[in-house]
Amino acid sequence: MSSRINRPFVRRTTSRAPWAAAILATIAILSPASNAQTASTPASASARRNAAADPAPSAPVKTIGNRNAPITMEVFSDYQCPSCGNFYETTLRAMIQDYVASGKVYLVHHDFPLQMHTYSGQAARWANAAAMIGQFQDVDAALFDNQAKWPVDGDIEKYVAGALSPANFKRVQAILKGCTTPAPTSKVDRSLPQAEPGCPVDPYIIQDIVLGNAVPVQATPTFVIHYKGQSYPASSGIITWPILKQFFDTLLSQ
Amino acid sequence: MLLILGRLVLAAIFLVAAYAKLKPQAAVPWSAASVKTSLSLFAMQVDSYQLLPPQLVSPVAHLLPPFELFLGLWLLSGGFLPYSAVVTTLLIAAFFATQVRTYRAGLEINCGCFGPGERLGPKTLLHDGAFLALALAVTIGAFVVARQRRAGSASIAQVSTPQRAE
Repeated sequence: MSSRINRPFVRRTTSRAPWAAAILATIAILSPASNAQTASTPASASARRNAAADPAPSAPVKTIGNRNAPITMEVFSDYQCPSCGNFYETTLRAMIQDYVASGKVYLVHHDFPLQMHTYSGQAARWANAAAMIGQFQDVDAALFDNQAKWPVDGDIEKYVAGALSPANFKRVQAILKGCTTPAPTSKVDRSLPQAEPGCPVDPYIIQDIVLGNAVPVQATPTFVIHYKGQSYPASSGIITWPILKQFFDTLLSQ
Repeated sequence: MLLILGRLVLAAIFLVAAYAKLKPQAAVPWSAASVKTSLSLFAMQVDSYQLLPPQLVSPVAHLLPPFELFLGLWLLSGGFLPYSAVVTTLLIAAFFATQVRTYRAGLEINCGCFGPGERLGPKTLLHDGAFLALALAVTIGAFVVARQRRAGSASIAQVSTPQRAE
């Protein structure tokens, strides 16, 4: 069962969609946080090494692949949403290994933690903290891989620790030291959550929620695809990799 | 008169639905490539229903919009109305059943009925239910009218045929 935002049916305003898509594309392309990060390409491996060597945490890099890839796919996701987990395991993982690794697709992750999920905001904090030291991809995978486990008691830390080296895990813990109140989540009424003053990752989660509200994201996962400066309408739900690949191939054949 | 109106409404529904699926989904001009892209995007919407195996998703997504276009034009022409009305009713009933199943399963997806962007929800079920009722009414009306016409032409034939003397 997919996750639902607890709000009445909201009509997608066609006039807002192009603006939202343009904003998303611009942010994805121009943001300093959109530098390449992947384990599967030499350039990104180097970037990850550099990030690991850099003691000062920077803006979270929640992207995978080459930012110059012809296709950019922005995914709004919630770590506790079963459909998001399913979408990651069945589609995104295959996509990362295939079209992201080969430089065809640039994957941009946006956090859209839903209010109905107790621990999704906290999971997003861990992912953002890991992204601040260039370790997003491993923690992202660990959170989805163990989605059935950590929501039971909220012990996310254990699975993040398993995905990182001890040194990097300490750095991530240090980043989250000031995060003591409940994590920000998207609101049913689309109002924005408050960032905890001492928590450096909260503004980035809220920034993603703002972007999601602009799409507008009505359920997770929702994704927007950009190609040659054009943005295609947002899609929701679980799309299988063969069908998504077919869409990418159609775009790339133009 | 009501039958003609119902038929035209159904024709408009299918023509709009086909247009919405075939038109360029990004700010690009119409072309064979734009139609191909639109159909591939529609395939993702069909896939999100999680009803068909991947090997069937693409054929269905590529055949459905042209078929809707054909059905819209057929209804518009008014030819063989009982048959076009039956096909329309069966197609809308299939859509409606799929939507009810998907909604009950809790899948939060786009309907794909009139192109991308419309969420599958109570509003979708309401308008598709109304379309189904209209299609049923047109089908019944078309058969009634066809029967009346047959009966009318039979009685005219009876009147115009000289009776054989006993």
